Amino acid sequence: MSGRIAVLVFPGTNSEDETVRLLRDCGGDAELVHWSEAQHLAEYDAFVLSGGFAYEDRVRAGAIAAHDRMMDHVVAAAAKGKPVFGICNGAQILLEAGLVPGTGPTRKPTAAFTKNAPEPHFVCRHVHLKLAVEPSRSAITAALPPGTLVPAWAAHVEGRLAATQEHLDEIVAGDHLAFVYAHPDGRVDAAAIPNGSALGCAGLVNRAGNVLAIMPHPERDGWNFNHLERREGNDALAPSGGASIFRSFVQAVA
Amino acid sequence: MRRGVAISLKIPDNTAYTALVALRRLDVAVEHIERSDIYFFDDGGDVEMLKQRIESDERIFNPNKHRLAILDSEKPGPGELWIEPLCHPERFDYAQHRLHRRVTGWRLYDAKNRPVGHSVLAVAAERLLCNPAIDRPIMEDRAG
Repeated sequence: MSGRIAVLVFPGTNSEDETVRLLRDCGGDAELVHWSEAQHLAEYDAFVLSGGFAYEDRVRAGAIAAHDRMMDHVVAAAAKGKPVFGICNGAQILLEAGLVPGTGPTRKPTAAFTKNAPEPHFVCRHVHLKLAVEPSRSAITAALPPGTLVPAWAAHVEGRLAATQEHLDEIVAGDHLAFVYAHPDGRVDAAAIPNGSALGCAGLVNRAGNVLAIMPHPERDGWNFNHLERREGNDALAPSGGASIFRSFVQAVA
Repeated sequence: MRRGVAISLKIPDNTAYTALVALRRLDVAVEHIERSDIYFFDDGGDVEMLKQRIESDERIFNPNKHRLAILDSEKPGPGELWIEPLCHPERFDYAQHRLHRRVTGWRLYDAKNRPVGHSVLAVAAERLLCNPAIDRPIMEDRAG
């Protein structure tokens, strides 16, 4: 059994149920924690921020949630080395909170997942995330093989990594670029990037390696019933599906 | 010439209210906030035509919930903070009225309903309203 995992629910979060379910199917002890229960977050060992539209993305995607009381606990826990994993809107919140790439002070973002380019339109596309760092770079990816491909769905309007050139250089130099978009055969080129993301970025990790933010949704390709190559046994985890990163996260919490 | 068109809600602005609550939680001394989307178009020498075209097209204006004001300056006034994206993926025109620029305009008031000063605007931008990775804050010149 793993340590206790809190899946945070802000007003407007919408992917929490499948996130909890996949964590549990991967052996995690995961529970939902709503914004009105922030005081309980100190009892947890790890945190997952799932997808949705926290606070309706008012001001900017993730901006209001980044200053929510729940994030006070998450920021403190991250500083103590507890694992924090953000997916899609959860990733946007982690960038707005300055936890990833973490190259500046907390709550002072140095990058953003912002409007897609060249067209600022919603993208819904099956993608592959390729692990671009040594697995041991992050506790959350430590159980993945080098160069792992994680299938997932990109489903966002604001998923393009943007930062000043100075901060993009810091992201590269500091080995913060955890995942890049890739083709199913592992090739990495511009055609694999669904949203114009700088550096082909699909995910970022902080300096200490305990906070990971990814834009696409692996939980939407976790079981046979939602895996592209559907098999018998709908409720079983798809062997080549997105559960691999959840398993690795759960191991980090164990 | 370039003409600013401010479109704001005449129904309650939940985004402005949420920003107000968040800023107060962040210890920014603000009592009331107004927000508008500000577009700068070529007016084609006929600002009334520009206004009519925007009002009759529902891409950025819905008569049931928006009000439209023509600005007489391309700079923010007292108590105003404009947030401008560093890149502009959105491009659209109304006939010959080309869109040049788009900003989000915030107007902040203190407890006495006066526009807040430069220092409060700067703090509001830094703590919430501007992400410097993708935006730049624009305020009234201190001397102005």
